[in-house]
Amino acid sequence: MEGDRLSRILGELSAGGGGRWPSARLCEVAREIIGVSGAGVMLMSGDAPGGSLCTAGGVSTLIEELQYTLGEGPCVDAFRQDRVVLEPDLAHPGTPRWLAFTPQAVEAGVRAMFAFPVQVGAVRLGALNLYRDGPGPLTDDQHADALVMADVIARWVLDVQTHAPTGTMAQELEQDADFHFVVHNAAGAVSVQLGVSITEALIRLRAHAFGNDLPLREVAEDVVARRLRFQ
Amino acid sequence: MTREADVVQSLVELATTLVDDYDVVDLLTGLADRCVSVLGAAAAGVMLASSDGGLRLVASSSDAMRVLELFELQAQEGPCLDAFRTGVPVEQQDLHAGSGRWPRFSTVALEAGFQSALALPLRLREKTIGALNLVSAERTPMDDSNVLVAQAFADLATISILQQRATVEAQQVNEQLAHALTSRIVIEQAKGVVFERAGVDMSEAFSRLRGYARSHNLHLTDVARSAIDGTLDPGAWDPAPPSARP
Repeated sequence: MEGDRLSRILGELSAGGGGRWPSARLCEVAREIIGVSGAGVMLMSGDAPGGSLCTAGGVSTLIEELQYTLGEGPCVDAFRQDRVVLEPDLAHPGTPRWLAFTPQAVEAGVRAMFAFPVQVGAVRLGALNLYRDGPGPLTDDQHADALVMADVIARWVLDVQTHAPTGTMAQELEQDADFHFVVHNAAGAVSVQLGVSITEALIRLRAHAFGNDLPLREVAEDVVARRLRFQ
Repeated sequence: MTREADVVQSLVELATTLVDDYDVVDLLTGLADRCVSVLGAAAAGVMLASSDGGLRLVASSSDAMRVLELFELQAQEGPCLDAFRTGVPVEQQDLHAGSGRWPRFSTVALEAGFQSALALPLRLREKTIGALNLVSAERTPMDDSNVLVAQAFADLATISILQQRATVEAQQVNEQLAHALTSRIVIEQAKGVVFERAGVDMSEAFSRLRGYARSHNLHLTDVARSAIDGTLDPGAWDPAPPSARP
């Protein structure tokens, strides 16, 4: 049974062409095979969102970006709590959670969210995010597919990184994943502008983004273009 | 308890050791002990291949067995070594001092009171990672049904060891990735610092960081950290003199 799922997923991944699959293919296949509106893979850095490996479908980029900006959401919980996070009715959740994330996700048209840890054994890398534009739970079949897909993604990341020269990030990750480097550029600049630490500068950037209802990336781009200064 | 119940319980106990952070030595000592208590071997021992490809003694059910296996490694002859090299079970009934396949091993084994020996590979598909050694005070080492059970114990131990190694490797790769990402982030932050202090664009900020690292023979990441801490001299980000330029 699990073997069938795995071969179906691997077959689908290879359908795009031979050789190593680009990371974008991982999210596309997750979305198609599991049958949801969108999919995204968040890689974590320490305990916080580090970047997006890929996104596919509708507003999935926005969903990833929201979780990155706010530092909360289903995939952050899935990673930190090391478990599957299921929210079949985001607009009317059983337990209110993600107070900043939820209203914005609902406004973007997301009605259900599911996050699966991306890990190999005890080695945790991030989480696979799935969302749907209608409410309702995943079927058992979709759930099982998502678990296998998360496993394939974890092995893909470790496999490409295994072949990277020591001290460097695999080229596939460097090129395809989005680690929001512009946000770190901006944090450096803002730390000088305000005479504060980088950590403090990041908090100020996040607060500005949240207060003005803007993605963190947009705020960072304004700083780097010298359109915005923090004094 | 019946033998069957003993075997089942042993398999269950060996399988439980696979959970979380078990110790390979504990696992293999348990394996050796069970070969004695459940399968009636006089003694048992386990050897594992090390990174240089040679075998190392990891567990023994008794001191006499430990001495015998250390001798086997020193003399470079004996059932464990053969099972490891060939990947198939090796059996020697009725050992004779100073003769047979392993003349020196046989002499020492007989002195310790062992009359026969059997070694089973710790093997998964084409990969052999070590061997399980069983000795008996009788002239025949073990009946066939017990050999099958011993091989099942050995297979379980093999799978658990390979599984644990894969996890350790994954951990290392993940740490390398985390390290590479952190270095990269520190450099991006430092670019932002120089961008602001020197009033240059990001790509020029990077050139100056790299220029400073080269001319002072420092790692880029260390220079980046100093830039963020503000521990570099204020003039550090001025355009480098032509001679220091690459």
